[in-house]
Amino acid sequence: MKDLAQSIPKKVLDWESVGQDAVYDRKTIYDYMDGGAEVYLAFDFRNAFVRKYRNPSGEEIALDIYGMGSPGEAFGVFSCDREDPEAGIGQESEYGYGLLRFRQGRFFVSITAAGNEQRAERAILELGKAVAPLLGPAGPVPDLIKCLPESGLKENRTSYFHAAVNLNNRFFVASENILGLGKDTDCVFAEYATSPAETGDLLIVRYQDEDRARAAHESFFKAYLPEAGPAAAALTENGKWTMARTHRNYLAVVFEAPSKEYAETLYSAIRFPQK
Amino acid sequence: MKSPMTRRDFIRGTSFAVLGTAVGFPRNPQNPRPQAGKSRVILIRHAEALDENSEFNGPVIQQMLDEAVMKLLDQSDPTAAFRLLVKPEDIVGIKSNVWSYLPTPPEVEKAIKRRLLDAGVKEENIGIDDHNVRANPIFVKSTALINTRPLRTHYLAGMSGCIKNYIMFGESQPDYHPDSCAALGSLFNLPQVKGKTRLNVLCALTPQFHGRGPHHFSRRYVWNYKGLIVGQDPVAVDTIGLRLIMAKRRQELGPGQELPPVPKHIQLADTKYGLGTSDLNKIELIKLGWSEDVMI
Repeated sequence: MKDLAQSIPKKVLDWESVGQDAVYDRKTIYDYMDGGAEVYLAFDFRNAFVRKYRNPSGEEIALDIYGMGSPGEAFGVFSCDREDPEAGIGQESEYGYGLLRFRQGRFFVSITAAGNEQRAERAILELGKAVAPLLGPAGPVPDLIKCLPESGLKENRTSYFHAAVNLNNRFFVASENILGLGKDTDCVFAEYATSPAETGDLLIVRYQDEDRARAAHESFFKAYLPEAGPAAAALTENGKWTMARTHRNYLAVVFEAPSKEYAETLYSAIRFPQK
Repeated sequence: MKSPMTRRDFIRGTSFAVLGTAVGFPRNPQNPRPQAGKSRVILIRHAEALDENSEFNGPVIQQMLDEAVMKLLDQSDPTAAFRLLVKPEDIVGIKSNVWSYLPTPPEVEKAIKRRLLDAGVKEENIGIDDHNVRANPIFVKSTALINTRPLRTHYLAGMSGCIKNYIMFGESQPDYHPDSCAALGSLFNLPQVKGKTRLNVLCALTPQFHGRGPHHFSRRYVWNYKGLIVGQDPVAVDTIGLRLIMAKRRQELGPGQELPPVPKHIQLADTKYGLGTSDLNKIELIKLGWSEDVMI
């Protein structure tokens, strides 16, 4: 991170760096992030570099560069929070209302305005463009993403993560960890819209072994779908179908499907890897 | 595993029951005396609490605090009301919040301090702090605490309100993070805190109903509600704050996004730690002032 710091411009337009740069690790990140630390620690977060910039009016923007250990983990942090249009910076990015987020290789970057977003916008985007090339080569998305059916997949609404805290911030399922998620589980949550009549959400979890997948399946049914029959599906109160099935050490759950048939279709299209 | 609250509870509209609360407020909120066994909470709003540039209006905020505390304690004078909360010999810590994106407005801190002085508390015996409360001599020697912070959502706890505001009294903040910050209520039983909280002022002037990015902040999710939620029961105050956040999320994000993750610490502050009530049937909510888009 120190070498990287020397390459990052200290001035962007009329915004100049202020104060000391800071670097945080897994123990000290709590000093910087109020409540968000666990969301990042649930990934393979290694360290974070932080630099503040100030304009002549005294407004600040914060540059945060998070070392996530691997491109897959950087994708994970980026993917859990997508809502804005692509900004064309790094491998994938988005910008909206004073918040630029992008990933490049094993790094996830956030640049945030603390004051007026419109006045900060140009500087934020310029800074992002200057930082992205310094972060090394591009990296692949996690292999679990390849399991997702392609038809109707909303790619910019696909999230990768490990822990229940990330799932519940993305798509609330339950107040307790009924799927047994943790650092050793890999999860992908995706939204589908094949047609107006064919929409739904798909969660795929990869466990360490088949026993854990079966245990999670049982736990999920007990807490979430107690009325589901042998088809492992049930119509929920909003008129949508939920279905959950295991395949070896994988658990797949279809939420919010308009019909049992579409839930079956979505499940059947999952491309589980060969043994 | 205990029976969890699920997404289906939200869909059914039974989430409040699962949270340990009940839907619906008392029908006669203007009753001036606290209803037997109920925690009184005042929601006060003023259309001019923020000016046209969204700057906080100090005199209006002082007026809002005064009216809220008078109503809370059935007094006709703010100084008299504050004299019911503190004695002149008290050493008072105002536990504020300095989170850079949405701190406690200085105008609220000043309004509280003004009335503490009027009630006879010596200026040298009043402290305002957040991160340094464990070492601040005023807070170390305090005999009374006033708890004030902005209302917002939080990645782990679901909601940051008056209960969570005391996390800086804990020796290690991360120790309170597991299981969606379930143990936050235990902070009120720490020796430095126990039995000292006289008033909770949850600032709903510019609440935040959703968060994004590393710091869980984007100004697009902050709105000018122009309210204060005031009470002596921190659990009841947070329960009302939660209702407001959920109402706004339902409106802006849709029914399925009312509040992830679940702020279970509010219910547990009631059922496990006995700090107050999270049951809306046991809360007397009195709404004062500006009523446009009140939402709850």
